[in-house]
Amino acid sequence: MALRLTVQVQLVLQALLRDPATEMYGLELSEETGLQPGTAYPILLRLEHEGWVASRWEDIDPRAEKRPARRYYRLTAGGAAAASAALAAARRPTGTALRRLAEGGGAA
Amino acid sequence: MMPDIDREERRKKRAPVISSIICGALTVTVLIQLLSPGWQWLPLAVGIAAATAVGVSIDPPGRPGTGHPRAGRRSGSGFSGRDRDDDDGPGGPTAHRWRMLVMASLLMPRSAGHRWLAEAESLLSEITAARRGAAIRSYMLSAPRLAAVTWARTVLRQARPGRQRPG
Repeated sequence: MALRLTVQVQLVLQALLRDPATEMYGLELSEETGLQPGTAYPILLRLEHEGWVASRWEDIDPRAEKRPARRYYRLTAGGAAAASAALAAARRPTGTALRRLAEGGGAA
Repeated sequence: MMPDIDREERRKKRAPVISSIICGALTVTVLIQLLSPGWQWLPLAVGIAAATAVGVSIDPPGRPGTGHPRAGRRSGSGFSGRDRDDDDGPGGPTAHRWRMLVMASLLMPRSAGHRWLAEAESLLSEITAARRGAAIRSYMLSAPRLAAVTWARTVLRQARPGRQRPG
């Protein structure tokens, strides 16, 4: 199934594309995009399924860190190129408008 | 977490219910005795009332790590924020929300549910208390659709190797 480039998907891709080499975890992405975690998670899963994003569990001792391990996401090489092309092709509203739309449609 | 205090609270809440059951049963017994005299009603009615009262008052001890067969490593109310300031005990809203997430994860295939729950736990342990409720709601709202998608993917993946190739 082809990836549908919804506003929410665009926000996630934009956040990941800001620095494609840097990994981001769920909360970071949620704060960056303004999307609720429950909205961002299925998008990340879909992007991972399409091969655009790779993820891994953080390698820590949860007892020592006093928090559970995070799941980190980053764009794959192919994913970064595909995401850039897809975003360029998509009509791009301003960042503020995107955020407003996402808050209205995806944060319910 | 203070499970003993929590159990004591529940016991206190049940006390009036138990008293009402006993009083009601005794009133009914006396009325039956007056309307239709016969000693055989009395032990039966008292027995039923006593059994009901005992049944209601039994408070099974809390079982750690229950709810999700995949969550055996966890205990308490989940979210794993060991130093959280809003840990409200096994009967509190946090535990209730955690149980809801656990139940929702059961809708998904095993591995997908496990990952979803682990990721939700990880995120919710770090998110601020003010945003936690909205985050949980968003997880709960997306769970049914996610369950459908993950099941569809699992079924397709399992069907693929068995597919007959022509020739």
